[in-house]
Amino acid sequence: MADSRTDLVQGTLEMLVLKTLALQPMHGWGIAQRIEQLSNDVFLITQGSLYPALVRMRRRGWITSSWRTTENNRRARYYSLTPAGERQLEAERAAWRRASGAVNGVLNARLAPGTA
Amino acid sequence: MSLLSDVAARLASILWRRREERELDEELRFHMDMEAERQRRAGAAPDAARRRGAIALGGLERTKEDVRDARGTRLFDDTMRDVTFSVRTLARSPAFALVVIITLAIGIGGTTAIFSTVDATLVKPLPYQEPGQLVRLYEGYTGDPSPHNFVSPTMYLAYRDRLSSFDHLAAGLTYDDAGADIGTNGQPERIHVLYVSAGYFAALRRPPEIGRAFEPTEENGAPSVVLSHHLWVDRFHASPSALGAELVMDGKPYTIVGIMPTGFVDPLRPGADVYAPLDLTPGLDPSNVDNHYLTVIGRLRPGMPLSRAQAELDALGITLGREYPDAARAVARLYSLKQDMVGPASRALELVLGAVGLVLLLVCVNVATLLLVRASARAHEFALRSALGARRARLLRQMLVESLVLALAGDALGLIVARAAMSGIVHLGAGSVPRLTTLSLDPRLLLFSVVVTTASAVLFGLTPALRAARTDPIDALRGEDRALAGSRGHNRVRSALVTAQVALAFILMVGAGVLLVSFHRIRSLDLGVDGDRALVFELHLPDARYDSTARALFYEDIDARIARLPGVIAAGGISKLPATGEYHEWGTRPLTGPNVGLKDAGIGAQQRVVSGDYFRAAGIHILEGRAFDARDAAGTPKRAVVSTLAASRLFPGVDPIGQRLRTGGFDWEVIGVVPDVSVDAKGDRQPTIYHAHAQFAGDRNWALTQVVSTSAPPADLIPQVQRIIAERDPQLVMYRPMTLAEAIGAGTAQRKFTLVMLASFALVAVLLAALGLFGALAYAVKLRSREFGVRMAIGADRGTIRRLVLRQGFVVTIAGIAIGLVGSAAFARVMTSLVFHVRPLDPSVLAGAAGVILGVGAIAAYLPARRATAVDPRSIL
Repeated sequence: MADSRTDLVQGTLEMLVLKTLALQPMHGWGIAQRIEQLSNDVFLITQGSLYPALVRMRRRGWITSSWRTTENNRRARYYSLTPAGERQLEAERAAWRRASGAVNGVLNARLAPGTA
Repeated sequence: MSLLSDVAARLASILWRRREERELDEELRFHMDMEAERQRRAGAAPDAARRRGAIALGGLERTKEDVRDARGTRLFDDTMRDVTFSVRTLARSPAFALVVIITLAIGIGGTTAIFSTVDATLVKPLPYQEPGQLVRLYEGYTGDPSPHNFVSPTMYLAYRDRLSSFDHLAAGLTYDDAGADIGTNGQPERIHVLYVSAGYFAALRRPPEIGRAFEPTEENGAPSVVLSHHLWVDRFHASPSALGAELVMDGKPYTIVGIMPTGFVDPLRPGADVYAPLDLTPGLDPSNVDNHYLTVIGRLRPGMPLSRAQAELDALGITLGREYPDAARAVARLYSLKQDMVGPASRALELVLGAVGLVLLLVCVNVATLLLVRASARAHEFALRSALGARRARLLRQMLVESLVLALAGDALGLIVARAAMSGIVHLGAGSVPRLTTLSLDPRLLLFSVVVTTASAVLFGLTPALRAARTDPIDALRGEDRALAGSRGHNRVRSALVTAQVALAFILMVGAGVLLVSFHRIRSLDLGVDGDRALVFELHLPDARYDSTARALFYEDIDARIARLPGVIAAGGISKLPATGEYHEWGTRPLTGPNVGLKDAGIGAQQRVVSGDYFRAAGIHILEGRAFDARDAAGTPKRAVVSTLAASRLFPGVDPIGQRLRTGGFDWEVIGVVPDVSVDAKGDRQPTIYHAHAQFAGDRNWALTQVVSTSAPPADLIPQVQRIIAERDPQLVMYRPMTLAEAIGAGTAQRKFTLVMLASFALVAVLLAALGLFGALAYAVKLRSREFGVRMAIGADRGTIRRLVLRQGFVVTIAGIAIGLVGSAAFARVMTSLVFHVRPLDPSVLAGAAGVILGVGAIAAYLPARRATAVDPRSIL
């Protein structure tokens, strides 16, 4: 937690998990699969970071979980978004947009003519 | 917003830890299976797929740890682990743990119980509005350091009229224990009457609930009464029509003018059933100014300090001394009513409070010593752990937890001890210590002692970890003595603590010892009377049916009849039994003899009115002259019997028989001299003048307590005496029959209470000091066992080693006793007020206490010394 790098990754991971769950309730493995799919395998979700993140998000009241059976008839813990989670997703999406817009702005900057 | 769900989730994680772990397992297994399945579908061999699944999971245990971290219960988990570890560690040295826990339990339990007692009886406010303004006024004579005499009516009226410091100055009549018989259906019943002045209830700010209080115009013994709430309920079924109704007391009708509210507690006589107006009609003789029998309480004007009121009173006293020559030596003193009410008990409780403080201090020192010694013993362990990379914070936390485990165990046990001690104290002090029945364990005080002792346990418990951080682990691991046994400074601290323990225990022992000796002397004190072979009872003759002549005849007649009963040696009555307190101290001066005309010839003397053959009944022998007899009847010249002290003070150097004295407004001729008897239970003797009831019955209605000495058990006599009384007057009540010893013994109950408290404290203190001393020395020996092994290996014999250890023990013990001696001297000053017939620094007590402590110290030093030399050098080296 003291490491700022994990914070960044963690924050991003949480946003992606929230988004995934906004589509439909899902178990842990499913969440990881879905993120990998949606990101075209750019993000490989290590389960060592997924499950602690799920516990933290549950503590914050963004998601809830319940045990259900999968289509293959196995018991699995399904996570779903709470209203607080939906609000959090919106907040993070807005923050992300702002941040990525700003980053893009910086990256795309060119010297204006006549200023050198 | 999410704080609540966060806390709930963390709590759930703690509460349902097992389920959470099981579910985590299942979830991760599901994940692995799904991953393996995916890999298999992608074409990998099942085994490889599973392995890759496991790799993808990033290490199962690692993930689990991270999940546990994410639950936010890591601190709790670690603490639980520390607690388990601490309990295991402590269980490895059960003697140490037990000693610390028991020390804490005794300390917390005992001190809380005692603190609560002090609080309930001393600190809680009086149940009246603005209790700080309430004062009690006593009179006395010039030079009396602590005047505590009753107030004369003349003076009371003067104070009331002329003092401006008071809103109210009220008087009551308490010394009489006045009772009255209220008769219903021929079955007389005795009730308590308190005669009070107008303004009595106003001073307390508790006016009657129904009706009115007394008016100043009623202060002539007017037939009005105010009922207590309980009598109103019992006798009049709480009917409002009681107001204005009649209450017949001693055959005389009184009009009910008021009813007190429920919950009113009388400060002068808590059990009062009925209030009646005082008769303050000025006496016939102006010299009655020196006749003291009123109890005076007052309410100061708002904002008026006691000292200013006292100054005004002093100034008025000088004026009054000029107006009334008989009162020239009179002084008056104000005390806060609260201090006065708990008065004698308060010194006792202050003393107990001091003892409590010492015990608490002793507990802290004891625990500190034990923990420091243990710290030395564990220096090696901590050096090792520190060398192995344990962080200082981690070691500190573990020691903190270990100390807390110890402290909390002690606290819990302490609570149990406190509850037990409380019921013991209530049982012990019931009846002799005021307001003890309201006692309950005070949470603030419990918190206080728990915090103090726990803080000391934690503070000193942390030392090994703190030292480990400072010690060079290499030294400690090499077994350097310096590191193992602690630095020299550290040893000094430990020795100082053990010395302090011994000193504290010594002071407590001396305190208890002195009281023990004092109590023993009081028990075996010659009060001047023989209490076991005498029956006493009160017999009150109602004014309505008995005038002074009838009273005089009745008492003489009833005494003569009782004296004729088989087994009875003698029977007589007295206005106040010996050893039950002061009563009627009147100014008395000689009219003949060498002191006549001297400025200081007058003395304050106890006055007693006797009937029948009182002196023989009470076992008081006539030393000179004669006792009262039929010659001393009403109308004959007034005669008095004086005690030896009175004789020697009034008529020094001359034969007292035939001398004349003046007291109570009359002149008296001395006809006999008797030995002094104790005025109170402390064995205090005062000049006493005895008057014959037959001659003095007209002065007032003396309710004489009858004393019957007998060769048979006094209790057997009760029915026969009852029959004799009923023969004379069936409406009279034989009130409170008991043996003389019982009547006198009531005064010692309170000191017994204090004594038992202090004695148990001292016992506990010695026990604690012994445990501490033993623990400290035993550990010191253990630490040096390697050194002793070396010494023995190179030829030292066992005796040398033993002497070494014993000397170490004796040095701290003797140093502690020396310091304790100094402390005792300071403590003795407090004790002087409570201790009688024994010097507070009684050499035999000091020697006894020193002996016990030395003995305990010797045992505490000897056992480890023996163990030290029982060691096989080879096993150590």
